[in-house]
Amino acid sequence: MERYLGTFERWLIVPVILTAIAFATYYLLKRHGWKQRQATGFALITPWLVGFIIFTAFPLIYSLYLSFTDYSLFGKPKWVGLKNYIWLFTKDVEFWPSVKITLLYAALTVPIGVIGSLLVALLLNKKVKGIGVFRTIYYLPAVLPEVAVALLWRWLFNSDSGLLNYFLSPILKLFGLGKPNWFGDPKFVLPAFVIMSVWGIFGTNTVVFLAGLQGVPKSLYEVADLDGASSYKKFKYITAPQISPIILLQIIMGMISSLQIFTVAMFVRPTTAAGKFMNQLIYERGFTQLHMGEASAVAWVLFVIILALTLLVFRSTPAWVYYEAEVKR
Amino acid sequence: MENAISKQNTSAKRKKVIKSTITYIILSAIAVLILLPFFWMLSTALKTNADIFEWPPVLFPKSPHWENFANAWKALPFNKYLLNTIFVVVLGMTGEIISETIVAYGFARFNFPGKNIIFFILLATMMLPFHVTLIPTFIIWKKLGLVGTFDPLVLRSWTAWGPFYVFLLRQFFMGIPTELDDAAEIDGASPMQTFFHIILPQIKPALLAVCVFAFKGYWNDFLGPLVYLTDMDYYTMNMGMYFFMGGVSEAPKWNYLMAMSSIVALPTILLFFFAQKYFVEGVTFTGLKD
Repeated sequence: MERYLGTFERWLIVPVILTAIAFATYYLLKRHGWKQRQATGFALITPWLVGFIIFTAFPLIYSLYLSFTDYSLFGKPKWVGLKNYIWLFTKDVEFWPSVKITLLYAALTVPIGVIGSLLVALLLNKKVKGIGVFRTIYYLPAVLPEVAVALLWRWLFNSDSGLLNYFLSPILKLFGLGKPNWFGDPKFVLPAFVIMSVWGIFGTNTVVFLAGLQGVPKSLYEVADLDGASSYKKFKYITAPQISPIILLQIIMGMISSLQIFTVAMFVRPTTAAGKFMNQLIYERGFTQLHMGEASAVAWVLFVIILALTLLVFRSTPAWVYYEAEVKR
Repeated sequence: MENAISKQNTSAKRKKVIKSTITYIILSAIAVLILLPFFWMLSTALKTNADIFEWPPVLFPKSPHWENFANAWKALPFNKYLLNTIFVVVLGMTGEIISETIVAYGFARFNFPGKNIIFFILLATMMLPFHVTLIPTFIIWKKLGLVGTFDPLVLRSWTAWGPFYVFLLRQFFMGIPTELDDAAEIDGASPMQTFFHIILPQIKPALLAVCVFAFKGYWNDFLGPLVYLTDMDYYTMNMGMYFFMGGVSEAPKWNYLMAMSSIVALPTILLFFFAQKYFVEGVTFTGLKD
């Protein structure tokens, strides 16, 4: 009981403090000539603002600072300049393999995920009886906790008694190959992770695409039918442009989440010979070895990669994303 | 003439039947691919240690060993871990849903200088890798002397932690016509009364969607407990699972692990079946509107 009590008390005090801050903000703003509704609105968002400053803005800047220091949680951070980055880029044997496997994983899973879930959504968009049951089944992998997913797939990929090798071994035998030791063999780690991620494409992404497909105006298809357009042409000239904003969203969200793979990798426990994912490296450097400076440097490299890739995708959007408003103009 | 038309009709009908049959075959094939791993998980959970390594694999265990579930559960103090998890889930969810509703309401219904920039920053935080802020956040909690307690896992919830949920709720608030507020105001309702009696009932689906997502979020959280919980007495289910998995050199007990995986998966699967509508609604709403 006592392990809950202290936390519960503090959990009750925090909203009181946040409310006090909100009221104080309200009166301060009103005194500075804000209208009542303006001050109310700003006061209402202060809980987020407080959290943002303490838990996002400050840590973001502080981790950048830490990446230029030596720090082991004890004592004070010692400024070392670019030493951590130079070490990572030139000496650290784990860094480049980690960047490589993380980027490769994202580069393989994002396109497969987006195209795969779009195809599945097109299939589920068919008007046939009992489609509701299929939609429910297709959403199931998305609700399974990551921990269960990881353990389940580790077992499916088991080299001696896994179900996957049971189905694959007759085919592999034709080519004179043995059973692959998926997560245990550096050559197979990446394919194994990619196959595992394909199972997850059913689910959230599919549901979003499905809703997008149902939002495409029926009249467009009716006109195309009158002109005798083929299904392929209808997809190319109506469906694809109409849902292109959703594709953009899926690419960006998929990129961000796949570059941050962590929990699954921790539970699958693949051989580290092919490299650890960047988030694993951050965790290990920071919390196992207590090299907070180095860990922060890896974190910032990951952050810059995500930022750069996101900007790159955004810059490409005028070429292929279609916005309704541009035509209405 | 009539004959020709009816002939055409039957051939069109036949084409339709063939097309829908193909659709069913593809749909069912994928459904099997999705369900087979689930089935395999349950099937393994009911086998003895010897049955597991049988080759070829047996899909239906000859005699199901239901006691595997109880034995796995008793192998570690999972009762305690479950209680800890429930504590974290309930506190976190409550804090999030209340604070996020308030913040979203502020963004949706009031205008103030800098609102758009602030909202843009809120959305941008969705792209921030969690690990970038992890170390300084850990240092903050350490300085406060609260590492090793549940505090780092639950206190933050009060600051509208999930930008995604704030966004979702804001979208719903924006969908309610402001005339409703005005009418209530004319009838003499205070802003508080308007909020609780007019606005809140209207966004019930969104609130339920956030509840479902937040539950899933706290239930699935692994990094938080891994970093902040140092004492075994404080472990959550996922931490228990991590230790249950055994050391790097140990061979995992797959029947027990699959039994525990099924148990850990059960709450989210049940929740999904009962709240499927809100799950799907929440996902699609944020995915589509801007």
